[in-house]
Amino acid sequence: MMRPIALIALLSQAAFAQTQFITWNTSYREALREAAATKKPIFLEFRCEA
Amino acid sequence: MEGRVFDAQVVLSPKDSPLGKVLSEYVCARVTRMDDVDVGLFDRDWNNAIYFFVLNADEQIYMRYGGREAQSPDTYNSVESMRIALEQGLVLHRKYLQGELPKQERPKSMFPREMPLLVERTFARRQCVECHLIGDFQNIQRERDGVLDKLTHLYRSPDIKTIGIGLDVPNGLVVKEATGAVAAAGMRPGDRIAGWNGVPVWTFGDVQYRYDKVDRRAKSLEITVDREGRPVVLTVALPIRWWWTDLRFRQSSVDPRLDFEDRPLTGDEKQKLGLKPDGFASQVKQVSGFAKIRGTHDLRIGDVIVAVNGMDSDEFAHTAELFLKLHTRAGESAKLEVIRDGKRITMPLKTYVLSFRK
Repeated sequence: MMRPIALIALLSQAAFAQTQFITWNTSYREALREAAATKKPIFLEFRCEA
Repeated sequence: MEGRVFDAQVVLSPKDSPLGKVLSEYVCARVTRMDDVDVGLFDRDWNNAIYFFVLNADEQIYMRYGGREAQSPDTYNSVESMRIALEQGLVLHRKYLQGELPKQERPKSMFPREMPLLVERTFARRQCVECHLIGDFQNIQRERDGVLDKLTHLYRSPDIKTIGIGLDVPNGLVVKEATGAVAAAGMRPGDRIAGWNGVPVWTFGDVQYRYDKVDRRAKSLEITVDREGRPVVLTVALPIRWWWTDLRFRQSSVDPRLDFEDRPLTGDEKQKLGLKPDGFASQVKQVSGFAKIRGTHDLRIGDVIVAVNGMDSDEFAHTAELFLKLHTRAGESAKLEVIRDGKRITMPLKTYVLSFRK
């Protein structure tokens, strides 16, 4: 029989897999083009991962 | 890594969450390499490992989000205040599209590849252009060109708490607590900060950026608050050293490392020692173990530093430590006059340069 913790982990993974997340563009230039085409504003994150 | 949790909260926002819903109205971009970033347009305090801009396809910046205080990188980051800011960003964008928001002059472009020292020490070595390196090499270049103003360039991002502003962080720029200089100017809890020296501000990031632009010799500052729907302009008398912040979190090679910390003597202590009341005499309260290893100095806890290179007072410094930070180039030596066990002695001090990837 599956242990409760393993079951919770499995259900959490399934829920995570079904969740729809925001799509992030990794190219600033591409984001500019998309914003021009859609007339949407840009939300730009700079993240130093080093 | 600083900002890891907040970064994850933002980037992994479900589309049906409050933040996700407003983010869906934006083109979202996340840039993790600074190599090709226009650091002229996206000027900021480069000691922030995470920072955000709201702008449009014409590269008109509506607002900034981010910023930190010396004690913590996360004090002012909040998913809720980001949602509020992004809602406001949509209002500003609609105004821009309808021609109701004047176009700002685009700042002059500057790319990391145009910074010779940065190229030499990162691109040429195939190393990452880390955010803080951009700021540090800008300052190294300023120092070489003789235009480094430490009050402005080393002591970036003054702390709003120094003038008494405590924000209700999840509610953006709503004031939770007003004390000291801002209380004296009439700021009250519940006010929403709306302008900084006449420039509209929407986020803590905006406030910190605009505060950083204030001349360090300024004696006052105008803060506009929204009080029950009406703008109220407050003139804040800036206290001495309003710009001072703890530099220890910064990676800066123009910051002379001293291997000691001190505290200013009180007026009574100066009088008892026969020292000038307006001098920067200070007592050593902490000595780093590196002082002996690096041969920086022979200071001991309890020593009173009364003069540096024959100077015992300064327009800005109230301690010997600050005097050395402001007036010594990293790597230079100085002569200290010290009172130890009631006797005056002199000793050399050698500052050193932070060698982080330099």
